[in-house]
Amino acid sequence: MIKTLTKLMLISLFFTSCVAVKEYEKINLNDPDMKLSERDLDKYKSTFQSYREAAAGANGGKTGGGCGCN
Amino acid sequence: MAQADEKTEYKKRVLETMEVNLLSSYYTQDGENAAVTGGIGTEELSDIAPSINVLIPLNDDDVLSIDATVSAYTSASSSNINPFDGAQQADPFVASTGASGQDTWFGLSANYAHSSDDRNTILSGNISFANEYDYTSFGFGGSITKLFNQKNTELQVKANVFFDSWRPQYPIEFRESFSLDDYEFTGNANYAANYSDFQDVGRNSYSVGASLSQILSKSVQTVFMADFVMQDGLLSTPHQRVYFGDIEDTMIENFRLGNDVERLPDTRTKLALGNRTNFYLNQTFVLRTYYRYYSDDWGINSHTFKVELPIKIGMNYTLYPSYRYYTQTQADYFGEFNTLLSTQDFYTSDYDLATYDAHQYGLGFKFYDPLNKFKIGNFGLKSINVEYNYYERTTQNFSAHITSIGFNFIAD
Repeated sequence: MIKTLTKLMLISLFFTSCVAVKEYEKINLNDPDMKLSERDLDKYKSTFQSYREAAAGANGGKTGGGCGCN
Repeated sequence: MAQADEKTEYKKRVLETMEVNLLSSYYTQDGENAAVTGGIGTEELSDIAPSINVLIPLNDDDVLSIDATVSAYTSASSSNINPFDGAQQADPFVASTGASGQDTWFGLSANYAHSSDDRNTILSGNISFANEYDYTSFGFGGSITKLFNQKNTELQVKANVFFDSWRPQYPIEFRESFSLDDYEFTGNANYAANYSDFQDVGRNSYSVGASLSQILSKSVQTVFMADFVMQDGLLSTPHQRVYFGDIEDTMIENFRLGNDVERLPDTRTKLALGNRTNFYLNQTFVLRTYYRYYSDDWGINSHTFKVELPIKIGMNYTLYPSYRYYTQTQADYFGEFNTLLSTQDFYTSDYDLATYDAHQYGLGFKFYDPLNKFKIGNFGLKSINVEYNYYERTTQNFSAHITSIGFNFIAD
């Protein structure tokens, strides 16, 4: 059930993107908090998480290597 | 009227002026499953990490970013690489006074990015160096980013390699200079560690990744991310002890002598798939969501979910409440304290590789001044960020606090 709902949600999200948003319509998307990346201070949390947790990557930051961490 | 025929195309600079970010964090943690002492013992650690990040526009198209970080820490568990300092009873729950209890990590990285005239292609390259007492890392990589569909869609492909090396600091009882005869001990009088030095001390990491960003509406955008990593070399941590359940303990004071250091396979393959979707709800609220699935060939699977709700208070202030949930299954080679067997090929009692759930609660605050009224020399203060996060594992007695602050300056 959850999988089906998730698929429907993703499909509906992509249908909304059939019409490209023009540059002058991107005022909300250009808000600094809408950036599709971690915020500056998040790098410290990512660092300690890379030591304390096994998982890494798929967050725009470190993927593995560069430290004596997991 | 020749002037009327001239076409003057305006090209916006990728970065208008130089930016300087001064950041710092203070991190503390405590727990009772230290890997240095085989899964039992204090995990008390504190770390302070100032950092500077400089973004330099070299011309209209090119930006150079330089990042330098120093991380100075004290660690009670690392101090017990040698618990026999004579200052107090050797005990895994008591820090020793030896040099291994503190260290300084230094990292330096640079990234160069070039944007095409139409700003639809970005090429970048990076190099990095990091060093601490027992570990050195060199890395480099690059990426290509293509924007299309009126910049509604962005595709990035990247690759990175790291060539790292350990300078192993083995627990004191495994060193040639150690003799049991020098101590009063109890338990097994025929103590013989199952130990030999690691021959290969290099660690190489190769990663490739891709991300696809898509604007879904005037207020929603999303990015799907994937990273595939292959590592080889010394993937064990050389100063982390293990205790075997099938070998009688030898104790000096309150401290068990290790039976070996952890032994993990010399290859590891990791896959991480993530999604970040941001929703501009209204002028006050933005919703930021993140999910990641992770799997590796050591048997670890994990899920990470994070939600953040920036709340704008007037023009200049934003609050950042956040919550993050993390769960993982244990590595195939993990065993709790004193449960591993000497007949196993691979073993570790590092509780970071155990099954656990973790919750992280955060609250941040940003002051934003678009006019940069406060000046230092030729730099104006654009924003100040302060943030506190509390992290706890529900299935282990482990918790951490992290406080960070950042100042963002831009050149006049």
